[in-house]
Amino acid sequence: MTDNTIVVSTPPHVKSKRTTRSIMLDVLIALAPCAIAGIVFFGWQALVVELVAVAACVATEFVYFFILNKGFSKKCKDAGTVCRRFIKQFDFTSVITGLILALILPSTVKWYEVLIGSIFAIAVVKMLFGGTGKNLVNPAAAARVFMFISFAITTYTAANIPALKFESGVFTDATNLSWLFPAEGNPSTKISVLDLFLGTGVAGCIGETCKVAILFGYIYLSVRKVIKWWQPLAFIALFGFTAVLTSGFAFIATGGYIFDIELFLPHIFSGGVLFGAVFMFTDYTTSPKGIYGQILYYLLAAVLVAVLRYLTKLEVTSFVILIMNIIVPLIDKYLIRKPFGYKRVKKIKQNDTAPANAAANLIEPVDANGAAYVEKEGE
Amino acid sequence: MKAVKGKYYFGGVHPRDGKILAKSAAIEALPAPEAVAISLSQSIGKPAVVIVETGKTVKAGEVIAKADGEISSDVFASISGTVTDIKDMLSANGQTEKYIFIQSNGKDETTFLPSLSDPSGEEIRERIKAAGIVGLGGAGFPTAVKLTPSSPVDTLIVNGAECEPYLTCDYRLMLEKTDEIARGAAYIAKALGAERIIIAIEKNKPDCVAKFEAYENIQPVVLPKKYPMGGEKQIIYSATGRKLGAGKLPAEVGVIVQNVATCFAVCEAVELGKPLYERVVTISGKAVKTPKNLLVKIGTSVKDIVNYCNGGEDGEKPLKIVKGGPMTGTALANYEVYTHKTDSGILLLSEKEAAADEPTPCINCGKCADVCPMHLMPMNTAFYSAAGDFDAALQYGQTAACIECGACEYICPAKRPLIQAIRKTKAYLKNKKEGK
Repeated sequence: MTDNTIVVSTPPHVKSKRTTRSIMLDVLIALAPCAIAGIVFFGWQALVVELVAVAACVATEFVYFFILNKGFSKKCKDAGTVCRRFIKQFDFTSVITGLILALILPSTVKWYEVLIGSIFAIAVVKMLFGGTGKNLVNPAAAARVFMFISFAITTYTAANIPALKFESGVFTDATNLSWLFPAEGNPSTKISVLDLFLGTGVAGCIGETCKVAILFGYIYLSVRKVIKWWQPLAFIALFGFTAVLTSGFAFIATGGYIFDIELFLPHIFSGGVLFGAVFMFTDYTTSPKGIYGQILYYLLAAVLVAVLRYLTKLEVTSFVILIMNIIVPLIDKYLIRKPFGYKRVKKIKQNDTAPANAAANLIEPVDANGAAYVEKEGE
Repeated sequence: MKAVKGKYYFGGVHPRDGKILAKSAAIEALPAPEAVAISLSQSIGKPAVVIVETGKTVKAGEVIAKADGEISSDVFASISGTVTDIKDMLSANGQTEKYIFIQSNGKDETTFLPSLSDPSGEEIRERIKAAGIVGLGGAGFPTAVKLTPSSPVDTLIVNGAECEPYLTCDYRLMLEKTDEIARGAAYIAKALGAERIIIAIEKNKPDCVAKFEAYENIQPVVLPKKYPMGGEKQIIYSATGRKLGAGKLPAEVGVIVQNVATCFAVCEAVELGKPLYERVVTISGKAVKTPKNLLVKIGTSVKDIVNYCNGGEDGEKPLKIVKGGPMTGTALANYEVYTHKTDSGILLLSEKEAAADEPTPCINCGKCADVCPMHLMPMNTAFYSAAGDFDAALQYGQTAACIECGACEYICPAKRPLIQAIRKTKAYLKNKKEGK
């Protein structure tokens, strides 16, 4: 900015100091405990997965940006300028994508699988759709599903836990869900809730096992107002009750209660639900914008996760995230907030002479020319 | 009367208020400038019609242009001197306005209307019209028109919220001219036939609340501190609990809102017969040497005002010069701009304070919808209007109900130009209604 510059713009002339970059840095801080807990529980393998994923994501974004800005073409005289422009617009979203992807993978995954998954997440899911803020689905969730389909064997066999003793060999899937849904030939072995909460002695994905770390992330993000505090809470509560009900159906066969509230905590502490609720469902770009849309989104997602988990006995959070992401544009299209004071108009109409109009108003809050309020008020 | 608490409403932002800069500066009169240029577009309606000629000698308070139509107001000379020129000029908001230039003759001659004692409601209304009083909060709607409501009004809300950051002119006025404001409010209530007078003041001005508690006929309401609290719909809801839908007039819920500065002007017009030719303006911002609250003659150039505050020297270079508040005001390109009746502040924002960030891609965080006091979806307006689909912008963004408070753009972490998109969409709506 030179000395004589006077900026002319539309108001407001003061703005909050919060930027996209600072929000993304906050998310990284919230993710840090999960990443560290993963390294503590799963050792150097977890560290390798995390590093490879983050490095691959950032590198992919850089290469994509470089190609898009003709950094490789012969006409490009100054590749340094392109690099500087990349740094200027870099907002840490690809770092977050990489880290989240690493945290929802088991530590046994091969490094080249992580590499391919990360490149898929950034190049195909994020950049092809237009980069930050334009992606249709959560890149990390999409990449995980992509990897699940492509390398099914490694991603979904148990994570071995070299750092801690884990004797019983019952839990062979990544999320130790089997004991919640006991069936014949699958003896129900219980893990204590405390173990599930702390992540000690539990099989699972790198970042999903330690619930204390996730809780820290949740509190940090809520305090910094990055996410709305009620969203993960409502999701988890509704998911918990639905899950208890669904496993109640399974327990009927073995003579248990249909609604065993003791199962509430084990359910929500198992698998990647808590991690997904705090870090993945709350992703700005792929969740609804309006308040009603958000309520519907979390409601549907919670029921879907619980029911699909019961039906498939697999960790389905990533799949549900993808499904919900895809219906978000639909939710946004049909659930439009009503402007302030709108209800008042409706009430007057009900008390007055034209109830038919009030009903019509309910269905269509505003007509295309946006002048509904002004015109209808005279009736 | 004892103060009561106002209602909380969803939405709104909490900008750093910066009022501390000019808060303690008592109102002082700016010495009459050498020359003024008075715009004829001083109200929301049509520009006034010139009735003086070049070369005519006028006194302060003399009518120099007559109102044209109902929603227009008379324009008065603000200094005594000679009319030197009448010409079109580009005003701050980019429109061409007709200005009358007056060169001071050094004499401080004034001409007032006769003062009224114990006036009737009709007399008060006539006087307000004759004194050319418009809403001084920023809208510029002629007060006399507001005082002839279409439906019966039982409550007068005196708007002392002053939710805009930096501005302290209403605060100083409430502290120093409490009596006049109370009397002015009583005159307005009499003209309206309203039984109840509420003065709504934000929580950050407890001293003003305490002062107004001394009056038996006035009910002070302490509003929550947030922006935009002083918006008409917001203040009506917070002070009375009545919800005013988009596109409706306050009178339909039995309320009229008047700014404290308007009440003060009404009191002076009724008791002294003084027409509206000067008002209190806050000059603030970190680029001003001594922030002040000045009684400024309408038509004074921003240059004169800033020079007075900087003591004739050049202060720190501002990044933005703003006429009005920082949230809704107009950015100026230079100092050659003349004040209007509706200007409540001149702000010189330093590089640290002013926002001039490059926009980054929208991340759909939805913060703009969360803070919207009208419960709209600004991100949809921005998205569709950028694509040129204004009908969709109106439908999904509900832009027609927007009050342009700027809360959405304030909070936006991607620094998107949302207000610009909203104004573009509204311009489209206006053209569409006119059948263009």
